[in-house]
Amino acid sequence: MTNVSNRRQFLKTTALTLGLPTFIPASALGRDGHVAPSNRIVLGAIGIGPRGRQVLSCFLKEKDVQFVAIADAQESRRETVRRMAMRVYGNEDCVKYRDMNELLGRDDIDATLICTGDRWHALASMRAAKAGKDIYCEKPCSMTIRETQDLADTIKRYQRVFQAGTQRRNVDNFRFACELARSGKLGNMQTVHAGILTLREDHSWLPAEAEPGADEVDWDAWLGPAPWRPYNEKYTQGRWRGYYDFNGGATLPEWGAHTIDLCQWAAKADGTAPVEYEVDGDTVHATYGSGIKLVMRLAGFKGEGDWVVPGTCPVRFEGDEGWVEAADSGKIASNPKTLIKDFPEGGLSGTDPSKHVRDFLDCVKSRKQPAANADVTRYGHIVSHAASIAWRVGRKVRFDPVSETFIDDDEANRMISRSLRAGWTA
Amino acid sequence: MDRLKLQTLPAMNPTPIQNEASQLAILDSDASDHDKAVACQRLVYVAGPESIVPLAALLGQEHLSDYARSGLEAIDDPAASRALLDALSKLKGRQLAGAVNSLGVRREAKAIAALQAFVADPTGGVQVEAIAALGMIGSPEAASTLEPIITKGQEPLKSAAGHASLIAAEHLAAEGNPEASKRLAQSLKTVFPKGPIHDAATHLSASKTK
Repeated sequence: MTNVSNRRQFLKTTALTLGLPTFIPASALGRDGHVAPSNRIVLGAIGIGPRGRQVLSCFLKEKDVQFVAIADAQESRRETVRRMAMRVYGNEDCVKYRDMNELLGRDDIDATLICTGDRWHALASMRAAKAGKDIYCEKPCSMTIRETQDLADTIKRYQRVFQAGTQRRNVDNFRFACELARSGKLGNMQTVHAGILTLREDHSWLPAEAEPGADEVDWDAWLGPAPWRPYNEKYTQGRWRGYYDFNGGATLPEWGAHTIDLCQWAAKADGTAPVEYEVDGDTVHATYGSGIKLVMRLAGFKGEGDWVVPGTCPVRFEGDEGWVEAADSGKIASNPKTLIKDFPEGGLSGTDPSKHVRDFLDCVKSRKQPAANADVTRYGHIVSHAASIAWRVGRKVRFDPVSETFIDDDEANRMISRSLRAGWTA
Repeated sequence: MDRLKLQTLPAMNPTPIQNEASQLAILDSDASDHDKAVACQRLVYVAGPESIVPLAALLGQEHLSDYARSGLEAIDDPAASRALLDALSKLKGRQLAGAVNSLGVRREAKAIAALQAFVADPTGGVQVEAIAALGMIGSPEAASTLEPIITKGQEPLKSAAGHASLIAAEHLAAEGNPEASKRLAQSLKTVFPKGPIHDAATHLSASKTK
């Protein structure tokens, strides 16, 4: 890594220039299980709320990570994260920024953790890529098909390591289920099922409230690329979900980013997308060019839908010789039952990103592609958005996975992109 | 947690696609900013030539300008670009930056001269946006306007032109001008001897020679 190399050279030069003492703590030299500072991945975080803190805590547990900075539009969140870092490192070195560009302008930062609201995910990731940073970005990573394309193209352009926060690719039961499908142990794949939340698209605005000072909540920056609407505190407390301007794809990518992504993997469809989408109530039926069916159907926090395995974000893969199902409980079920006899109990829950974070960090060092890289994310997210567009137009739509446009459907194609608010582009 | 709150929200039927006239009537009324904003968003799906003038009339309004741009960007008619071009001389600040961005999104070649003028005007406040728009247009003419900025310009315009030139070079390569793309990438590698623009230009050069 260029930055790490620069830091190592800086330390060497500084020590020689200043004649630093030879008594250096073992931790600084990388002994006793510690990683020397010059070999650590320097991390900055952008937009850290409750979920962001869960993911950040996984980074903070890794000995080869040095977390140094937080950028957020809200002071309360900046301060909460600074205190997290203070508790882990025992110092006050974590720097707070209101403007993410100041964080991205730091040459010493190698990688960024981006956990803003959905409206900012792609834009912040593209800014980070342009600044030469590697990126771990929470899902859904985009608001539209166009933004999905722009994100993947930008990551490729700048050759960055990108990991979407679709951590189930690195959770044991989901991996096991996908491997059963991919290895042919279910026979020829017939249908893959992805659990989704109820679809909604709310254009309403909450009542206007007096804006706090920008040092407390920078409303302009909080909105970022989303179109203007009056301030209301509830948005900044997480109540932005479900609104058209803040939640892309009619909320379908909320879980679809995970479950459709796994279906893509199981169906060996990582580089493509279904060619037809049709809506039946809460369910979207899609068909790949290979003939495999993708069924996106209701699941939920209270056991909604017709699923065998308990837990959120369920998936089910059906072949002509058997089926397997997995969900966030960490459990797995199959028919025949012997298919899962070698699956070890007690793995991670589906929401635990610890292995996914480690995968990202290893790839930052090796420059290999992580499990949920930008290309994988491109197609998984395109499917989510295309399905939501089918729901919005209320009829069958046909999609060309090569041109990534709808076929003979001007109305659907107009839903591929949205304008970014002036002043908030990549 | 947030997602639990989401789950308690009721399901919604998809927003029906409204006919153009009904949404234009809202824009032509005393409706609230909210109602006009949503009308603009619904017009994205159905707007035709009839919507251009009403949408363009909103480009100067602080709270509705971006909503109006959404509609104009979606209309596959040169008149929509002309409306954006005509508005440039009347807009300032964020609203001007937005119109400049929309011309880039539309890859409007007729905007190149106007964008060049904005790049040259440090008082206009949209130099970086104009540079980005030229990159998005990505024609040989647009790319050629970026080259002097990367070779002779000052920061932050120089880096902005570097990033924009990468996008222009990709357009050139994809649209039948591989030699021009190669020259631009080579120029970027030279002008930016290290860093993300250099690395991206190096990758771009390598990917074309395969």
